[in-house]
Amino acid sequence: MPIAFEHVSHIYNDGTPYRHVALEDVSLELAEGKITAIIGQTGSGKSTLVQHLNALLLPSAGKVLILDRTIEAGTQPKQLKSLRGRVGLVFQFPEYQLFEETVLKDIAFGPKNFGVSEEDAAKKARTAMNMVGLGKEFEERSPLELSGGQKRRVAIAGILAMDPAVLVLDEPTAGLDPQGTEQMMNLFHRLNRESGKTILIVTHDMEQVYRYCDEVVVMEQGKPKLRTDVQTFFHDSSLCREMNILPPALIRMKDMLRENGFTVSDEISDVNGLAKELARQVKHHG
Amino acid sequence: MGNFTLGRYLPLDSPIHRMDPRAKIMGMLLMLIAIFIPSGWIGYGIIFVCAAGTILLARLQFGFILKSMRPMMIMMIFLFIINCLVIHTGEPLFVIGPVIIYRDAIFQTLYIVVRLLLMIMITTCLTATTKPLDMTLGIEDLLKPFEKIHVPAHEIAMLISIALRFIPDLIEETQRIIKAQESRGVDMKEGKMQERIMAILSLIVPLFVSAFQRAEDLANAMEARGYAPGEKRTRYKVLKMAGRDYTLLVCCTAMLAGMIWLSRMS
Repeated sequence: MPIAFEHVSHIYNDGTPYRHVALEDVSLELAEGKITAIIGQTGSGKSTLVQHLNALLLPSAGKVLILDRTIEAGTQPKQLKSLRGRVGLVFQFPEYQLFEETVLKDIAFGPKNFGVSEEDAAKKARTAMNMVGLGKEFEERSPLELSGGQKRRVAIAGILAMDPAVLVLDEPTAGLDPQGTEQMMNLFHRLNRESGKTILIVTHDMEQVYRYCDEVVVMEQGKPKLRTDVQTFFHDSSLCREMNILPPALIRMKDMLRENGFTVSDEISDVNGLAKELARQVKHHG
Repeated sequence: MGNFTLGRYLPLDSPIHRMDPRAKIMGMLLMLIAIFIPSGWIGYGIIFVCAAGTILLARLQFGFILKSMRPMMIMMIFLFIINCLVIHTGEPLFVIGPVIIYRDAIFQTLYIVVRLLLMIMITTCLTATTKPLDMTLGIEDLLKPFEKIHVPAHEIAMLISIALRFIPDLIEETQRIIKAQESRGVDMKEGKMQERIMAILSLIVPLFVSAFQRAEDLANAMEARGYAPGEKRTRYKVLKMAGRDYTLLVCCTAMLAGMIWLSRMS
C-alpha cells in the first residue's frame, strides 16, 4: 500500500498575522518497505510533512494516502487511533514524553492505549527494551532518573512496542553520542531488513543517509525538491552541491581522488574498501 | 497556540505601537477605573467610541477582539443564569418554567457584559500593541517610586518578564507533548474517566519536568552572565515620553473625570 501526498498544503495560523505556509502543494510518493531519508534545511517543512503521516496534522488542502486510509482536507477523519497504532511517530527529543513510574510501564503505555491486554503489553515492552538494548535491570527504574541516551532509548522503545508497520523518526539521533547514534541507526536498519517495516527518517546527517537509507527526499521551502534513491544521489557530489548539501566525507574523498587522476569505482561504499583500492593503485603505479 | 488571542502581542506598526509603554499602562489603568464608575449608558457609549477609535488607530481587527472574548463566553452565560435566579427587582418580563425573568436581571447582566467587553477592548489595546519586554520595562519604571517602601521593583519586573517570556514556550511544549502522547494512542478529547486521568497525567508530568529543567537552565545561564538581583544594572533601552504620550495621559484623565461627573449628574 502506498504512502502518498497529493497536492498537500499546510498553513499554520491561517487568518492571523502569524500565518505561515509550511507545505505548499506537495505531491510525493514514498516507497514502502524501504528506509527513506527526508532532508532539508531547518524550516523547510520536514517535520510538518511527517506529522501528516499519522494525522497529527491534517492537510489544509489536498489529501494524504497512508496504509488503507485517505485523509482529505476539510474532512474530520474518524478512528485516528487505529492509524496511529500502525504509524509510529517518534518526535525530535522524544525523552520529554516519558511520565510513568517505571521504564516498563512507560514502554507498555502505547500498546495498552491501543487495546492490548496488560500482560501482552508488558511482553511487547520487554521485546522492545531488548531491541533498543536496555537490559532487564532497567525495567523497574524510573525513566526520569536515566541519562539522556537511556531516556531516548526508552522513548523509542515506547513506539516500537506498538509494533507499527510504518515507523517515522524525526531526527532520532540528535544529541546522542557517536556510539549511541550507530546503535540506533543499526536498529532501524535491522527493523527494516528483518521485519520489513517502512521507515522514514528526518535527518541532517548525510553520513547516516549514505550508510543506512535507500531513498532520499530533499525538502526546500515547503516543497519536495528532489526524490531519488541514495545511490543516484551520492553517485558524485554534483547533485548534493546543487541542493546545497555537504556530501558525506567518503563521497568528497572519492571526488578529490578522481580529480587527481585516480579511477575510483562506484561500488566502493566504505572507508576500508576505498583505502584498499587506493593502496592497490599506488602500489601498481610504484 | 493557534486559537488563544487574549493578551497576545501583535507585531504591527502603528502610532499606538510606538507609544511609551508607561503612558499606555497608566492610560489603561485610568480607563479601567473609568469603566467601573457607574456612569450609565452614555458613559459606556463614550468609552466604547474611544476604545474603538484606539483599536482602529492601532490597526487591530475587531475579529481579534471578539476572539479574545470567547473564553469569557461561558462565564457570561453562567452569570446570566445566576442573575436570572437571584434578581427579583424591576418588572417581570417573561417566564421560563418555574423561573420568572425580571427586567433588572437582564440589565444587570448586560451591564457586566458591556463592562467586560470594554475591559477586554482596552486591555487588548495595551497588550496587543506593547512588546512584553517593553511592558515590563514600563512596569519597572512605574514601580520605581515604591522602592522607598521596599517594593522590589526590579525583581518584580524581572519575574514578570521571565514569566511572559516562557508562556509561548510552555504552550509550544504542551502542544509538542500532546502530539507525542497522541502518537502513543492517548485520546486527549474523549474517553472513560480512568483514561482521561491517564491522558492528563501523561501531559502534566512531562510538562512539569521540562518546566523545572528550563527554570534551572535559565537560572544557570543568568548566573553565568553575572546576574545578581540586588545589583545596579544599566539599561539597553531607555524609555522616553513624547508629546503624544502626555496627550494620551491628559485624555484618559479627562475621561475619568468626565465619567465621575456623569455619575454624579444621574
